[in-house]
Amino acid sequence: MTVPAIEVQNLSKRYGQIQALGGVSFSIPEGEIFGYLGPNGAGKTTTIRILTGITQPTGGTASIFGHDIITETIESRRHMGIVHETSNVYDDLTAWQNLIFTAELYHVEKAGRNEWARELLKTFDLLERKDDLAHGFSKGMKRRLTLAMGLMNHPRLLFLDEPTSGLDVQSNLIIRRVIRELAGEGVTVFLTTHNIEEANLTCDRVAIIDHGRIAAIDSPERLKKTIQSVQSVEVGFDRQAPDIRDGLCDMPSVNEIRKEGDKIRFFTEDPSAVLPAIIAYAEREHLKVLSLTTYGPSLEDVFIRLTGLDTGNGGKSQCK
Amino acid sequence: MQVKATLRQVPLDLSAAWAIARKDMIIYYLRPNIIVSGILFPLFMFLAFAIGTIGGSSPPAGGSSEIAQLGALIPGLLAITVLFSASSIEPVSIPIERRMKTFDRLISAPISLQALVLGESISGTLYSVAIAIIPLVIGVLFFGNLILAPGALLLVLFLSSLCFSSMGTLVASYPTENVGEVMSILNLIRFPLIFLSGVFIPLSSLPGWGQDVALFSPLTYTSDLIRFGYNGASHISPFLDILVLVVFTIAFQLFGNYLYRKFNE
Repeated sequence: MTVPAIEVQNLSKRYGQIQALGGVSFSIPEGEIFGYLGPNGAGKTTTIRILTGITQPTGGTASIFGHDIITETIESRRHMGIVHETSNVYDDLTAWQNLIFTAELYHVEKAGRNEWARELLKTFDLLERKDDLAHGFSKGMKRRLTLAMGLMNHPRLLFLDEPTSGLDVQSNLIIRRVIRELAGEGVTVFLTTHNIEEANLTCDRVAIIDHGRIAAIDSPERLKKTIQSVQSVEVGFDRQAPDIRDGLCDMPSVNEIRKEGDKIRFFTEDPSAVLPAIIAYAEREHLKVLSLTTYGPSLEDVFIRLTGLDTGNGGKSQCK
Repeated sequence: MQVKATLRQVPLDLSAAWAIARKDMIIYYLRPNIIVSGILFPLFMFLAFAIGTIGGSSPPAGGSSEIAQLGALIPGLLAITVLFSASSIEPVSIPIERRMKTFDRLISAPISLQALVLGESISGTLYSVAIAIIPLVIGVLFFGNLILAPGALLLVLFLSSLCFSSMGTLVASYPTENVGEVMSILNLIRFPLIFLSGVFIPLSSLPGWGQDVALFSPLTYTSDLIRFGYNGASHISPFLDILVLVVFTIAFQLFGNYLYRKFNE
């Protein structure tokens, strides 16, 4: 039987009166991209700090490739690369010096070290700036350098804490491409992100953590199936529609209607029942339908449902 | 099994400690402002004591006895230089690294905390030895200081630098991102040491209680061994000086390791 990349049993952490983690359990097989989602203060960073051996738990166990993170901390860390939430590069070292220092900390063999550092700089589009101090780098460049440093020791497990938060398009694209490539090479990725769509597109499984407890853990598609009631139909007319409350709000299967930009979105449990009503409404009002799209529940819907967050999505309810 | 793993980790930790020391040298110690302030500190200290000495001397200014008096200040100056230059940078660099989150890199690497504490101390040691050479050379060239036991003098410079840089690293374990907080704790320790360690007043001239208190200060043994290096004579046995400095260094290293672990929890 293969040893899981991460095995967590009933992990808890208390800071004084505050219970940051309250008995979290999960297992991540090698090669999986695992998303760890949750609102601010849910316990994501605490989990990463425990799994990387920076903080000790107050209860439970965690192991990395079979090595207990508390009793075999150093052995556990040998297999991991860590990309912290902050781009914590040394501003007063060059990109090259940052990579070589990381290699020295992680005891990377000298043979092939320079070639690998050069390869990483090339991958992250930083090779031309290798001898420049990181001090002069943009936010995106520092983020890319942070990720390169996280890969310097050829990790089997990579912790990525908000890797693409607030980045420019170029950096985003590069980082997402690298994550995909790592997955192809069998590297396990533990990803925390606020970007739910990113988790939806990238992760094999996601866990949603709220108030220090796992609210759900499954593949994005299976999670979405648990809330089929949050389906929707989005329609775009050729001109501003008259008051739609008259025609559609009384339909029993429509839960809510929202105006979103120049389109109208109907939230329903049964899209097939809503479609004919929309067409009939358009004919009655002499409107031309420019676009008509049905949506299943998104991972964001699951997240909002499970964490009880107010959507506040900017749309204006037309019925309620 | 555990012992074997620990032994296997030793060379890896030493190599990581050296990497941390080199990183610190590049980022903090080799900055022009740090080098200049490191050089100026003993010079200004010397000038301050020189003015006091010349002002209080009875022979006419410029006499040979006056030069000898000034030369006699060098051993004390050397002790203070080592104390301050070895212990000053870690309490600045470590809170800065906490603020910049680069400290997280060090404490999440596959190295022991002891490697981190040692690495931080090594950089302070090398810096301190380099700075201490300045008053030593000035003493020899300008004031005709004789060094009767050069080996002991070099040993005490190195050992005391490691001891006080370990002390600075220990104090920097205080979990704050604010440099001022760490420096105020450090100065609470350093300034009393100067007056309690026979740096300016020979141990033999201190009252009985003063001599008893002085035994608890590592600077006492530094000062005594430096005087042995210059004069070939000391108040305490030079071997005891070395032994106690080694014990203080190990204690600072181990206690530092404990505190970094404790504060991380």
